[in-house]
Amino acid sequence: MLDLTSVASGYGETQVLHGLSLRAEQGRVLAVLGRNGAGKSTTLKTIMGLLPTREGTITLDGQPMGKTSYDIARMGIAYVPETRDIFPSLSVRENLEITAKRFGDSDSPWTMARVLDLFPRLGERMNNGGTQLSGGEQQMLAIARALLMNPRLLILDEPTEGLAPIIVKLIHDKLMELKHEGLSMILVEQNFGFATSLADDVVVVSKGQVVWTGDADAIRADENAQHRWLGV
Amino acid sequence: MFQHSALRYTALILLAVGAFAQAVTAGYFGLEVLTEILLLAMLVLALDMVAGFGGMVSLCHGALMGVGAYAYAILTTKAGLAPPVALGGSIAVTGAAAWVIGAIGARAHGIYFIMATLAFGQMAYSYVFEAPFFGGDDGMGGIPRIDLSLIGLDLNDSRSFALFCLALLGAAYGAAVLILRSGLGRSLTGVMHNEQRMRALGLTVWRVKADVFGLSGMIAGLAGALAAQHVMYISPGLLAWTVSGEALVVVILGGLGTLVGPMIGAAAFVILKHEVSNVTSHWHLVVGVLLIAVVMSRANGLFGWIEARWGARLERRLSDMTRKSDAEEITTDA
Repeated sequence: MLDLTSVASGYGETQVLHGLSLRAEQGRVLAVLGRNGAGKSTTLKTIMGLLPTREGTITLDGQPMGKTSYDIARMGIAYVPETRDIFPSLSVRENLEITAKRFGDSDSPWTMARVLDLFPRLGERMNNGGTQLSGGEQQMLAIARALLMNPRLLILDEPTEGLAPIIVKLIHDKLMELKHEGLSMILVEQNFGFATSLADDVVVVSKGQVVWTGDADAIRADENAQHRWLGV
Repeated sequence: MFQHSALRYTALILLAVGAFAQAVTAGYFGLEVLTEILLLAMLVLALDMVAGFGGMVSLCHGALMGVGAYAYAILTTKAGLAPPVALGGSIAVTGAAAWVIGAIGARAHGIYFIMATLAFGQMAYSYVFEAPFFGGDDGMGGIPRIDLSLIGLDLNDSRSFALFCLALLGAAYGAAVLILRSGLGRSLTGVMHNEQRMRALGLTVWRVKADVFGLSGMIAGLAGALAAQHVMYISPGLLAWTVSGEALVVVILGGLGTLVGPMIGAAAFVILKHEVSNVTSHWHLVVGVLLIAVVMSRANGLFGWIEARWGARLERRLSDMTRKSDAEEITTDA
């Protein structure tokens, strides 16, 4: 599905990714793990066209990725950033409608009714402004808004960052539902247990390169890799 | 997204009632001042749509108003079109010009956007100033007003013309609110908050900016066509960057991103200008000091100051009244 081959990228004069290669398969969840500053979020931003690819190639089903985040969104990739980026002066409904009206129709798998079914809490908060939501509600809204793009691939950056354990569990359960429905996902996550219980495949990134590849069971069993690359 | 608070409704009603009362009772000079306020209010309403809700601070809205005025003048005096048709035509021409400026300027931000719009405005000013077809620096005269005698209104009468302008300002305000509450307006708000995120959500950002800039230009064009009818004469001065600068001052003075505030700012600005200029020719100094005071107060203009002082109190009082009335209803039912 999505292939990164020898990708180099970074911020300004600072290069963060040094020839990173990985593959996300159709219908599977890929977790990208690594210590702080390893290049996980940079990888996602490069996929989304928010940072330029200086070297290497990124393809989706063999087709080169679009140059801008707009083109990439139109190719069917939805991105939930770490910052969530809820529009503060728009209500929950308006935040959702921004994507629902652009990507959805009655035949689309994800409709407003369906995302509210997945996140009933949002249904109770439809007229609340973006700033009146808790961190967990904002994360639900960010995921719901991304789903309304009816994506082929959902990319999530640190979805549990700063959330209470009970909300982390709720987000985990919802993402598990999406996984069982066959939605392809790439997940960057610091929470090792959360990531490996959700993921099928795992790559570990260190200093801008993939240093470990395998499935979730393998990384759980490989204490040496956990200790060496993740400090677990 | 734009929403009407109780205070905004109250301010709107007070403005409308005050303007109507002035239109009905004022003498010739008072009506001229009122019309000047109404036309400036229309221009700053257009500017607030893009600057206050889209972060597009434009220094070409004066020029857009000028385009509307010249388009109306040419369509009536040179093309011989009936004034109502020319009015529609001038709005369409200005909207198209504004759309092109918005589309070209959409990639620029902050100071670069301001400079781009200033350049467009100055290009229009210079061209009109030099072109004999537009009357050069002599301008154009003999511009007719719309004939509404069919409904018993003689727009050559200052009172009727002021009422006509008031009605059209009301319509322009309604259109601005509808646009800002539509999907397009919501997208514009999203673009102002986080353009990159909107792009990643699959939104054609330049198109949203261009569309709203075009619609805002149509309102500026309407103001221009009315300004041409008001004085029945136009000159290139109408397109000068100082007109755009003055409109921006009025928006900031009134309250950016409130729609109501800039209209209050227009009234305050014109009244202040006339009253202070009776005392001293340096009225700009007084307006300058007032603007500095408003900016230094950290309130969002005059209306922002009013909102901070009385907005919450008014909302509380209204909610108390609602609760009281609900309680009385329950008691009566019991």
